[in-house]
Amino acid sequence: MSELTGKQRVQKLFKREPVDTMPCFSGQGAVVIQAIEKMETQFAKIHTDAWLMAESAITSARLFNMDGVVIPYDMAAVAEAMGRGISLYENAEGIIYPTVPNKWKDLDEIDIPKDYMNQGRLPMIDEAFKIIKEEAPDLAVGAWVLGPFTLAGQIMELDILLKGLKKKKDQTAKFLEQVTTVTIDMCKHYQDLGVDFINVREMGSGTDLLSPRMWKTLVGPNLKKVFDSITLVPSVNHICGSTDMIIEMMHECGASALSVDQKNNVVETRKKLGNDVLLFGNFDPYNTLAQLEDVTEVETIIKQCIDSGIDSVWPGCDIWPDIKPANMEAYVRTVREYGKKASPAVGRI
Amino acid sequence: MSTQEEILAKLKEAVVEYEEDDCAEAAQEALDEGVDPMVAVMDGLAAGMEEVGVLFDTNEYFVPEVLMCADALYKGLDILRPHITLDTDAPKASVVIGSIQGDVHDIGKNLVKMMFDVAGWDVHDLGRDVPLEDFVKKQLDVKSDVLAMSAMMTTTMMGMKKVIAMVKEKNPDCLIMLGGAPVTRDVANLFGADGYAESAGNAVSEGIKMIGRLREFQKGEIK
Repeated sequence: MSELTGKQRVQKLFKREPVDTMPCFSGQGAVVIQAIEKMETQFAKIHTDAWLMAESAITSARLFNMDGVVIPYDMAAVAEAMGRGISLYENAEGIIYPTVPNKWKDLDEIDIPKDYMNQGRLPMIDEAFKIIKEEAPDLAVGAWVLGPFTLAGQIMELDILLKGLKKKKDQTAKFLEQVTTVTIDMCKHYQDLGVDFINVREMGSGTDLLSPRMWKTLVGPNLKKVFDSITLVPSVNHICGSTDMIIEMMHECGASALSVDQKNNVVETRKKLGNDVLLFGNFDPYNTLAQLEDVTEVETIIKQCIDSGIDSVWPGCDIWPDIKPANMEAYVRTVREYGKKASPAVGRI
Repeated sequence: MSTQEEILAKLKEAVVEYEEDDCAEAAQEALDEGVDPMVAVMDGLAAGMEEVGVLFDTNEYFVPEVLMCADALYKGLDILRPHITLDTDAPKASVVIGSIQGDVHDIGKNLVKMMFDVAGWDVHDLGRDVPLEDFVKKQLDVKSDVLAMSAMMTTTMMGMKKVIAMVKEKNPDCLIMLGGAPVTRDVANLFGADGYAESAGNAVSEGIKMIGRLREFQKGEIK
């Protein structure tokens, strides 16, 4: 039996077909500083150049034997394409992700341009996808988009948006519907580019911020529309932070898989959802990969994820690029070895 | 004509029910009826915010409600604060506060700022996406008692460590508070900070608990 490629392993996982071992990949940013240094470039430069973005993704995956890549790395690209600007921190020391400097401050100000898809860095990101598909056909290629609520918080001030949910319910609901069409358009676009999966990150909508009731009325229905629109490739519904109270509603949105972070009680989630649902997560990437001094602690955390009922061990958020190589190696190694046993939703060859 | 207790109850209710106009009205009534404005702030506005904290901790209120309660509190505070007489012999405590460079989130920061505003501190709010050196420069300029920084994302919190090192080197007495979703007690200890609040949610809880402590202090229950 020949070993599966990373792409095949990930594709089989999403189809819930038996695999040789648990795939090791992420739908969150997974670029590492060791790749950037190997390429003799800088973190601030990999967000604006298609080749640097593609190569840093591929090199990161190759260095640590990951099964897939995911781009872009920052969450500002769509807001930038809508004319909200971009701060790249090119002269700042260390690793700082791009941010949006000029968010809309009032619902009445919002004017989403029709041709945003051709603006800012979005065409460059398309080019990076093409390079990755050509250069690394053996790796699964993931795209990620912001869910409608989180995207809304990227293009307008979050506190105004949150208060609008209570004070200007109708206007805010209409705005969220408008942003939903943007997320849908982005998903369709990445489907057409031929990515292997799409991760929809609605990370700002956990119950750390919103009540389950608000989630049910203002987040869930829009997410369902998004997942209904992704018909050609598998999709993931990722929410970080507190998700225990909304996990069943997340499942009802219809994604191929759910992804949660370390705040989720995965054992309980499994009981609620059953063994047929693909569930990804749920370790704290900063602590596990960038802080722990002892790799046996890393192994323990990864094993706990698998034992609690995870089908693919995903970091709960972007991997902090300045990882400790030994910890990253322990993460991948443990997934490969300990993941040889079947997970709840996916058997083994 | 309302009694002091009734006015304090109105202030409290206006904060809890996030009724900005009612809060402003009750604050004005407090002044008109000769209620000590500091008592109105502490036993009216801050007491209301304490109840909001309980509602938040019991999952009755979430961040949108808390933000609106904070708006109502500020409506009252803006009216009452100019009338609070300061003990001019005692130096006023001060804080430099802001969200770290690379972080454009400021909800948690603003909730912690509210706690300092209620307590009557001199608040130097640098805003968000603040370059590291600006924290150091401002802290050294105003020699604040506290430097409070927040980062909502792991991806920005590393800058805090640099600021702490720079400030502690020149001004070891400055207390440093960190806040934000990725900041744990271990991270705060590792970076050399003196306190932390874990998230916007915890900033609400922690900030409100600190308001409660201030109220107890005010009443002489804590020495």
